[in-house]
Amino acid sequence: MDVAARLEGVSHRYGKTVALGDVTLDIPAGKMVGLIGPDGVGKSTLLGLVSGVRQIQTGRVEVLGQDIRPARIRAALGGRIAYMPQGLGRNLYPTLSVRENLDFFGRLFGQGAAERTERIAMLLEATGLAPFPDRPAGKLSGGMKQKLSLCSALIHDPDLLILDEPTTGVDPLSRRQFWDLIDRIRHNLGDMSVIVATAYMEEAERFDWLAAMNDGAVIATGAPAEIRAQAGTATLEEAFIKMLPEGDSAAGVTLRPRIDRPGATPAIEAEGLTKRFGAFTAVDHVAFTIPEGEIFGFLGSNGCGKSTTMKMLTGLLEPTEGSSKLFGEELSTGDMEARRRIGYMSQGFSLYSELTVRQNLALHADLYALPRERRAPRVAEVLAEFELGEVAEMMPESLPLGIRQRLQLAVATIHEPRILILDEPTSGVDPLARDAFWRKLVSLSRDRGVTIFISTHFMNEAERCDRISLMHAGRVLDVGTPAEITERRGAETLEAAFIAALESETPPEGETAPPETAALPSAPRGARAPGPLVQALTRLWAYCWRESLELIRDPIRLFFAGLGPVILLLTMGFGISFDVDRLSFAVNDQDRTPESRRLTEAFTAIPQFAATADFADRAALDDRMMRGDLAVALEIPDGMGAALHRGTEVPEVSLWIDGSMPFRAETARAYALGLMSDFSTQIAAETGTSSDTSLTIETRYLFNQAFKSAHAMVPSVIVLILMLIPAIMSAISVVREKETGTIANFRSTPVRRVEFLVGKQLPYIAIAWIAFWVLATLGLSVFGIPLTGSLPALGLAALLYVIATTGFGQFISSFTATQVSAVFATAVIAIIPTVNFSGLIVPVSVLDTSGRIIGLSFPGAWFQPISVGVFLKGFGLGDIQPKLAMLALFGLLYLALAVTALRKQER
Amino acid sequence: MLQSLRNIGRLTLKELRAIRGDRVMIALILYVFTAAVWLVSQAGSTEVRDLTVAVVDEDHSPLSRRLTDAIRPPLFEAPVLLSADAAGPALIAGDYVLVLDIPPGFEADLRAGRSANLMIQADATAVAFAGNGSSFLSQTLAREAADYLSPGSESSDLVNIVFRNRFNPNLTAQWFTSVMQLMNNVTVLMLILAGASLIRERERGTIEHVLVMPVRPHEIVLSKVLANGMVILAASVASLVIMVEGVMGVPIAGSLGLYVFGAALYVVAAASIGLMLASFTHNMGQFGLLVIPVIVIMFLLSGGMTPLESMPVWLQWLMRTISPAPHFVAFAQAVLYRGAGIGLVLNEIAAISAMSLAALALVLARFRKILS
Repeated sequence: MDVAARLEGVSHRYGKTVALGDVTLDIPAGKMVGLIGPDGVGKSTLLGLVSGVRQIQTGRVEVLGQDIRPARIRAALGGRIAYMPQGLGRNLYPTLSVRENLDFFGRLFGQGAAERTERIAMLLEATGLAPFPDRPAGKLSGGMKQKLSLCSALIHDPDLLILDEPTTGVDPLSRRQFWDLIDRIRHNLGDMSVIVATAYMEEAERFDWLAAMNDGAVIATGAPAEIRAQAGTATLEEAFIKMLPEGDSAAGVTLRPRIDRPGATPAIEAEGLTKRFGAFTAVDHVAFTIPEGEIFGFLGSNGCGKSTTMKMLTGLLEPTEGSSKLFGEELSTGDMEARRRIGYMSQGFSLYSELTVRQNLALHADLYALPRERRAPRVAEVLAEFELGEVAEMMPESLPLGIRQRLQLAVATIHEPRILILDEPTSGVDPLARDAFWRKLVSLSRDRGVTIFISTHFMNEAERCDRISLMHAGRVLDVGTPAEITERRGAETLEAAFIAALESETPPEGETAPPETAALPSAPRGARAPGPLVQALTRLWAYCWRESLELIRDPIRLFFAGLGPVILLLTMGFGISFDVDRLSFAVNDQDRTPESRRLTEAFTAIPQFAATADFADRAALDDRMMRGDLAVALEIPDGMGAALHRGTEVPEVSLWIDGSMPFRAETARAYALGLMSDFSTQIAAETGTSSDTSLTIETRYLFNQAFKSAHAMVPSVIVLILMLIPAIMSAISVVREKETGTIANFRSTPVRRVEFLVGKQLPYIAIAWIAFWVLATLGLSVFGIPLTGSLPALGLAALLYVIATTGFGQFISSFTATQVSAVFATAVIAIIPTVNFSGLIVPVSVLDTSGRIIGLSFPGAWFQPISVGVFLKGFGLGDIQPKLAMLALFGLLYLALAVTALRKQER
Repeated sequence: MLQSLRNIGRLTLKELRAIRGDRVMIALILYVFTAAVWLVSQAGSTEVRDLTVAVVDEDHSPLSRRLTDAIRPPLFEAPVLLSADAAGPALIAGDYVLVLDIPPGFEADLRAGRSANLMIQADATAVAFAGNGSSFLSQTLAREAADYLSPGSESSDLVNIVFRNRFNPNLTAQWFTSVMQLMNNVTVLMLILAGASLIRERERGTIEHVLVMPVRPHEIVLSKVLANGMVILAASVASLVIMVEGVMGVPIAGSLGLYVFGAALYVVAAASIGLMLASFTHNMGQFGLLVIPVIVIMFLLSGGMTPLESMPVWLQWLMRTISPAPHFVAFAQAVLYRGAGIGLVLNEIAAISAMSLAALALVLARFRKILS
């Protein structure tokens, strides 16, 4: 047997959890191979290891005949493997159009423009995406996203295609189209091996070969027919359940008949329910009536308005038109009583992950205002009923998906609601857990008479409902029992009926399956490959170009990058001021002589002091100072004038200063000292008692003759802003990919770390350099700072500086895990040294040694003297060369650190 | 009504549990209210201390030596002697803040009754130090010269001025920076903590979940304000008493009770602003980008960094209208430094309260929109 991938003794653990335990498996080549099993059994880990995205811990993995442990081999194989990670369109860029996404992937494989255009046209044609090349990926339906993901995986003609749960959460029609597409592609490229992980057992039937996994181990392999035969069951799903250790005890789901009570008030009645978001109609005049105790299934393609309808029924959203009634009563959004009758489960897990299972239940029991004495017993009851007793003290995050869904259901039923509204509760849950979940639902409906309104993509679940409705593009197409609908559409199965119903509704601009006859044109194999350097530059450019597009299309980031610096410069330039002006000044002149009046005038004549009303006594002084109305007060005692005339003694005056702001107080003191000495000189000259000294002390303010705070601050503030904003922007750029999942593209394609980092850094360097010129212009125009040195030299230094600061951001982001921690870590690490130790306020020369060292180990302390020097001290290129060299060194250092810290493989 | 209060209580408890579960956030709160307050009060002070001075002595007389010796700590570092040629480049390089020039024949001129001139060159790019530093240096020099030429006469001035610094007799910068740093920490943490708690719920979908229950939006908002506010208020008061008053020995003049009351109002205002910012963004990344400029502005233009009256009048007016921070800083300065009673700070309290209400109203108005 030809082998696509071979695993020998492979184990993998996350902390204490064992994901794979000593797996040995040969995956045949040239076949459609399915990996089936419940959640959390290690399917994704296995696929990650085979695709080289995840680091091998123990064991040996051979792919396409080569051991993939060495990085060199992985790099070489990268061009032959394609990997599509789990999650709907998670490796796509939502703001980029279909064509731009594919262009990006083509560049990642170093393809030239002509080759890309040809391949993209071919892939779009084959997948039926050709009519929408310019639609942003984020606005595609779930099925179209999957197709686009597939196109991006196929852009380089891989020999091995790895798909991790590609159809989870996708409606049956899109699912069928997807598999048809894969079949056709394999038909054309006969030798391509495909490995798929899936939770849909119906899908597994069509694969050539299966490996069933449970609990980190492979429990069965072989063709679907062989596996069914082994277990002696009719379907794979049953076979699979039988193979599991706990499988024997697990009974299937049986739906007992419901006792119909005609004439009773229906539980839910909706009439003409409509919701519009702007011009888009999400739900269009939906109507249905659901009797009490019924299980009502809600089916439809992705984004057809199911969730919106459910939110309107719970009162979360106000309908634009129409109304809904619960037990005959009109539902309004503020109705608290109605809410006690409803239990709701939204798509995805939405309980508090910081609370334990028991705390979550208790909180909900509280909020639903259960009577105090009922609360604790009810929580215990629910824990027992949903078999959550063992995990009661655990945090929800640590539980498998199946148990989390059960917890959600337990929470939704804690207040014993009469209606349950469940939005795709079983999406991504394995068959066994789904069966257990459904047994609970059946018991709630039949034993307690709870009305259940549930949406699902699983056809076998739909078949268990009393009645179902098919929804498409905001409208209900059909309502009835599963058997009725199947019959009405003249189909054999419900799935076929559903697909037929959807296909008959060809929306005006919806996707159309390509004609079955449209053969996939064979790929342009053997096209002359560009040289390695050209390929490397193409890959670098791929990231640079994509990052720029994303940035331009993200208003918040663009606002931060573009206007952030301007706002900060204006506020800080005006705000951080050491000009002490208009200090409120008052006098208590007890002397009332010409001399005392002259002294008072000396104070009030300069603009630094602003005269206010005189004060009469200490109490008034205290009161005004406490209020903060008075900063400086002069008290001239009786007899000063007389004493001056006598000349025998030196009279004393008191100056009271509000010391709560020490800098202001010190400055006021310095001014007062100057005034007093001028005053003495004048008096002395007039009275002829001139002292024998004729010493004058002259102060010259260099570089800032006007001694304006802004002149000195603005060049330094520019240094601070060009540290803060570019570093944060670039820090987000890498972490974002980790959070959204697109980092998988970096891991699974031949792009190198340097190409990835530099490519992503370039747009931020450009935008930060533009910001520098804007800031410099503002400084010169708004703040009127003189420019005494060479602007080109400053521009060059600023370029090197922003290369260093953006590099710093990337370095931070290469080891942080979330955008928030990246933003705050960058801010905290970068800002404190830049504000305190780079000469912004305290000159570097005044700092003690440790402060100086901290300052000088960041680029800010090297750029600050350049910025101040060029603006105020007439620096040219010759004066700053050593500092320029240091800035360049910082840029290289941060790049090297980021390359070292960034992992090409996941652990 | 009673049910509403009960819901707020339960949700507040839930928020407190969430904060307790977030180890990183607790570490950050602890760091910020202990080490950071101390560190910042140590570094970056605008006090004239240890200024670097160089002397170009071209006189080489006893007087010039005496003047050089008079330049000493704590105001100045011991001066470095430079040649006339080296002084210019050293100033350009930013090695010294002040350079004193003593011309040739300085003492001889003075003794002969001719006028003599000392020159202080100040690097005015160090705005916080050049002015006060040169002013103090010339005072020191004048006194020293007078004492040398006519021993006994303490000053050449005809009028003696006695400085009395109210509220901070020695003008210790640490008193100011430590308390102001505390104010800034309250602002920064409150914005981040409150905003993040809302964004986190939005990202995980729990807010939808809560709104399906018989819980009203204002109960959710108030519980977040209460829980986060209590934590930060308690941390800041503890930090004020233990770190600032206890460890750093900064005296607190006014009533602690009054301060806690004002701080509680401010915490509500800051939390509401954090929630408001969060309601404009969809994820933590965007929130981070939005909150950082807001923090920088609130922090730098609060009057806690440099005095509000040094700003242009329009900016003072603008900041007092849109930000509660200047009011809180004015309030805290009046109460903590000057020992003002409630009568003197009523205006500030009213302004902070009004802003809290406005921000809360805006958050509630936006709340429904968040969901769609």
